[in-house]
Amino acid sequence: MSESTPPDPLSRLGQEIDKARAGRVRRQPPVADRSTLQRGLSLGFRIGIELVVAVVVATGIGWAIDRWLGTRPWGMIVLFFMGVAAGMLNVYRAVTGVSGPVGFRPPAESSTGAKGWDDEDC
Amino acid sequence: MAIEIQPLEQFKIHPIIPIHIGGLDVSYTNSALLMTIAVVMITALMVLGTRKRALVPGRWQSVAEMSYEFVADMIETNAGHGGQEFFPFVFTLFMFILFANFLALVPYSYAVTSQIIVTFALAIVVFVGVTIIGIIKHGFGFLRLFVPQGVPPVLLLLLVPIELLSYCIRPFTLSIRLFANMLAGHTMLAILGGFAASIGLFGILPMGIDILIVALEVLVAALQAYVFAILTCLYLSDALHLH
Repeated sequence: MSESTPPDPLSRLGQEIDKARAGRVRRQPPVADRSTLQRGLSLGFRIGIELVVAVVVATGIGWAIDRWLGTRPWGMIVLFFMGVAAGMLNVYRAVTGVSGPVGFRPPAESSTGAKGWDDEDC
Repeated sequence: MAIEIQPLEQFKIHPIIPIHIGGLDVSYTNSALLMTIAVVMITALMVLGTRKRALVPGRWQSVAEMSYEFVADMIETNAGHGGQEFFPFVFTLFMFILFANFLALVPYSYAVTSQIIVTFALAIVVFVGVTIIGIIKHGFGFLRLFVPQGVPPVLLLLLVPIELLSYCIRPFTLSIRLFANMLAGHTMLAILGGFAASIGLFGILPMGIDILIVALEVLVAALQAYVFAILTCLYLSDALHLH
């Protein structure tokens, strides 16, 4: 008990946490880098399969409609192209940050922050 | 000595406790066992980890708090305002997939998420749930989701079906992504393992690659759980805010 320690261990801890926080501010860029990498990886995994599945599922639905209504091969052809369109739409939206099949332009005051579509011309 | 390589053998479901109710096979299988282990482990981690409620968290409490904060943060940034209501669901989903994926990497265990029916069941719950939430929040206004803004009416004839289709495809992409990644990864591990076993001394080469792929699989396991959860958040955001 030679040094002048604050009597309350909690306030001492608080000081230590503050000091550690202050030290962490300098390490901010690497943290941001890691989250960019994480986001990039997850995006890659997302869109990799989006197009393929859209086409396959849509063609499958078309095939089923044909079987059901006996309109072979038109349902399959039309649904195939629609599947391509839907898949591309999904990929495009995933890449531009406009997620999900919604209207093309989100309102500017949208609360979903940190997606960075402010400068996006979509 | 010939070693038979059957890389798909590992995905076989076999009953541990056979149960048949009125011609319905509801046996307790190895897949169900791994799911049970995953659920028990998550519950143990959360309940035992937070039991002490120490101000300065110990190791287990740290892990529990970290996973909590990770998911809470993910919902905050991706689902936006009002998303926190669905924290329990997203957290459960994330932890279950994460633990199932990680447990699958333990030798002689079973890759639950490599069964399309498991991932599809998870995805369809998300899909139906999100749709119902959207309808509850917005009523028929939810259908505006499928009508792009600022488009000539003639084009809507073409665009609305496409929007509808791309909405209905969601459960498929969500489930196939997880299932395909797990299936491919584990098949590859088994094939390389089979090589290593069958070519004797030179087996050290595929063995080394196998070890690297295990590292890759750890990444994929975590990332796929993350992607599944983050997409759930994005879909929730659509239903909540309609953009």
